[in-house]
Amino acid sequence: MNETPLVVENLSFRYRDRQGAAIQSISFEAKPGEVLLIAGASGCGKTTLIRAINGLIPRSYKGEINGRVLVFGEEVKDWKLSQISQKIGTVLQDPERQILGTKVINEVAFGLENLGMPREEIFKRVDEALDFLKISDLRYRETFNLSGGEKQKVALAGVLAMRPSILLLDEPLASLDPASAQDTLDAVRALADQGLSVLMVEHRVEDVLRIHPERVMFMSEGGIRYLGDIAGLSKVVNYREVKISAEEIVERAKQDPAPAEIKVLPGAAGKGEKEALVKFENVAFGYDVEHEVLHGINLEINRGDVIAVLGPNGAGKTTFVKHAIGLLKPKSGRVLVDGHDTREASVAQIARTLGYVFQSPSHMLFAPTVHDELAFGPINMKHTKEQIELEVKEALKIVNLSEKENDPPLALSFGQQKRVSIAAILAMRSRILVMDEPTAGQDYQNYMNFMDSILQLPAFEAILFITHDVDLAAIYANRVLMVNDGRLVADGKPQDVLRDFDRLKANRLIPTSLLALNLKRLGATGRFMRAEALAHI
Amino acid sequence: MLVAWRYRKRENSLIQSFDPRAWVIFYACFLFSTLSFWDVRFLLPFFVIAMFVLLTSGVKWHEIRRAFLFIVGFVFFFAILTFLTGRGGTELYKEEHLIREFRASFSILGWTPVLKVTVERAFFAVSQLVRVSSIAVMTILIPYSLNPSLYGITFKGVGLPDKFAYAMDLTMRFIPTFGRDFQLTMDAQRARGYELDKISGGIIQQVRKLGPIFVPVTIHAIISSEDIIDAMDLRAFGVGPRTWLDVLTYQFRDRILIVFGVLILAASIVVGSFGHGAFWVPEALINMFP
Repeated sequence: MNETPLVVENLSFRYRDRQGAAIQSISFEAKPGEVLLIAGASGCGKTTLIRAINGLIPRSYKGEINGRVLVFGEEVKDWKLSQISQKIGTVLQDPERQILGTKVINEVAFGLENLGMPREEIFKRVDEALDFLKISDLRYRETFNLSGGEKQKVALAGVLAMRPSILLLDEPLASLDPASAQDTLDAVRALADQGLSVLMVEHRVEDVLRIHPERVMFMSEGGIRYLGDIAGLSKVVNYREVKISAEEIVERAKQDPAPAEIKVLPGAAGKGEKEALVKFENVAFGYDVEHEVLHGINLEINRGDVIAVLGPNGAGKTTFVKHAIGLLKPKSGRVLVDGHDTREASVAQIARTLGYVFQSPSHMLFAPTVHDELAFGPINMKHTKEQIELEVKEALKIVNLSEKENDPPLALSFGQQKRVSIAAILAMRSRILVMDEPTAGQDYQNYMNFMDSILQLPAFEAILFITHDVDLAAIYANRVLMVNDGRLVADGKPQDVLRDFDRLKANRLIPTSLLALNLKRLGATGRFMRAEALAHI
Repeated sequence: MLVAWRYRKRENSLIQSFDPRAWVIFYACFLFSTLSFWDVRFLLPFFVIAMFVLLTSGVKWHEIRRAFLFIVGFVFFFAILTFLTGRGGTELYKEEHLIREFRASFSILGWTPVLKVTVERAFFAVSQLVRVSSIAVMTILIPYSLNPSLYGITFKGVGLPDKFAYAMDLTMRFIPTFGRDFQLTMDAQRARGYELDKISGGIIQQVRKLGPIFVPVTIHAIISSEDIIDAMDLRAFGVGPRTWLDVLTYQFRDRILIVFGVLILAASIVVGSFGHGAFWVPEALINMFP
């Protein structure tokens, strides 16, 4: 038998209903015991490559395929998906889309049950997988009550229990808090060290670099732009395309001109005294009578605030911000938006003041074109036709989707759909913008660009965003809230909140190279800055 | 991700003390037996059984209040509707005995609305209420009392093939998942200034204006189904006979329950075949209103 677990030869694929190849002429090998990181911008073909390897292409996704995929020397074209799945395990981007079992034990055992294994063997393998990932304590937990990080590990355990030789991971860190992401990465490294070939698609390149992947593939427009060791990556890609370590960016950015200073919230400047736009007064909330999720939240969102909300998966961050727009009403205490109690106003009324970008775009997109999707909010707000056209165009420009104006939003990639959902709220021109994980599943260049643009919009008087990205909070926020277990555990300037590494650890956050560098130079800068700017200080 | 109904283990719950297969078989027997009668005298014992099961289920009122009130409201609405229109029961009775007639004081294009209260209509409404309420009470308890992690093995245990049993498992969980997705979409659109209660215009226009809700919910349901299929395919579902991790074992009390259910069904079939249990109105009432 051929010892090379995976060989991809000249692989190209075009989806049935789309023009142009999603991937073209891809060739590479994956060796036993290596982690191959696959990076690239949204829509560059990473997920298509994963689907072509695990057999979903062409079995579930139809189209024109050329080239070969060989597993241990055998071409898998004529294999059944069940055969492939015993050699190649796949963990999808969103564990929620993968988990089928109601309890962890059922979920991990699912594949083994399907293979008709004896129950004793199933229990043995389930225990092994749970032990390996250090989640044995979750064995009898209900899957829908798990945190994001726990779900990701359970999905991984379900695949590992089938003992594949090749593991495909499609953006496994996208919705994880930094500590959960680190746990997942450590598990991946350990698996590779035991001989598994791991192919990991991930935007969070800097995080993955911590586990020293053997090689990295950088994809662009369906092809391979770079395939080689980590050291070579930074030589071929621009530091604005891929997030690399802050020290490296500083080194390379010295040759470039200093980045232009961003004028944060120009709409808030010149409006006089800081004014409380949103007030939380001793807010408590629970989804049922027995369990309280938020406990006594007190805070004000003031004009000029750019707030980053940090905290572990399942800490109550989304529940907290849903109170600001009145989607949830406090069980006790009250929330005031522009002086009005959210209990006495409809969500639609509050939306005129406060725009809220949901975490998942698929729950809101419905229109036949991106243009109509963006016009929906402003039409509901009774903006004039001319005003709407202007708002739509500007919002599209900010999220870099002007050329997609007449495309159906539902036909776009996940990353592009997410940007449409952000643009849809931007077009409403509310005074306060609230975004729930706006950068999840986005490539670095795109999210940095739209965050730059959003912060400079004159329409907004305050911005609040939930994120797991410590750097995003450090660069863009002028105030950081830390939420854990339904409580506000820290509220202050980024340089005050993020300098306490023990607190970061307690809230499942991990200091980054950029944070460390900023803290080192804080005496000279007086505030946190992006690495490109630090290069010129 | 599929979510489950709000099941939890309850102490002293009669329904949960049985093997879920025994309960499903008993429920099926109860359902078909109830449906075979229109005679309120025959239906009342079923109503009593349903109330007994409800009261011994351990389910708290606040847990089922919304669902219960919705279903009770629905049942009452249709009972009153058939009572007012007289439609629905006409297949079961040939003649009507008038108690009182209410004639409207106005006419619409020469037609004067008339409400005829008859003995048959009144008794049909009562029978319908008892019949549907019995079934509704028994049905509403299922999601609160059956362990979602045992859905698959339960359906397998009552004789369905592997694929059907797992499909039933997924279907049972699809309903609350659909409800959650509907709520998320409603929230997302409300945050864009959409107000469902302020939709105006003609019927076609109103349906069009529901697009922002129904398109994402439908698309999401389709995409989720595809995700589920992919996730199942990627872990070898359907390649052959599968092992079910959970094992259910019948106890003596489970066998008693099954026998009880089967006996009820058999008795209902026998009684029905002798012409009993059809729609019934007390003779005395008919004589009062000849």
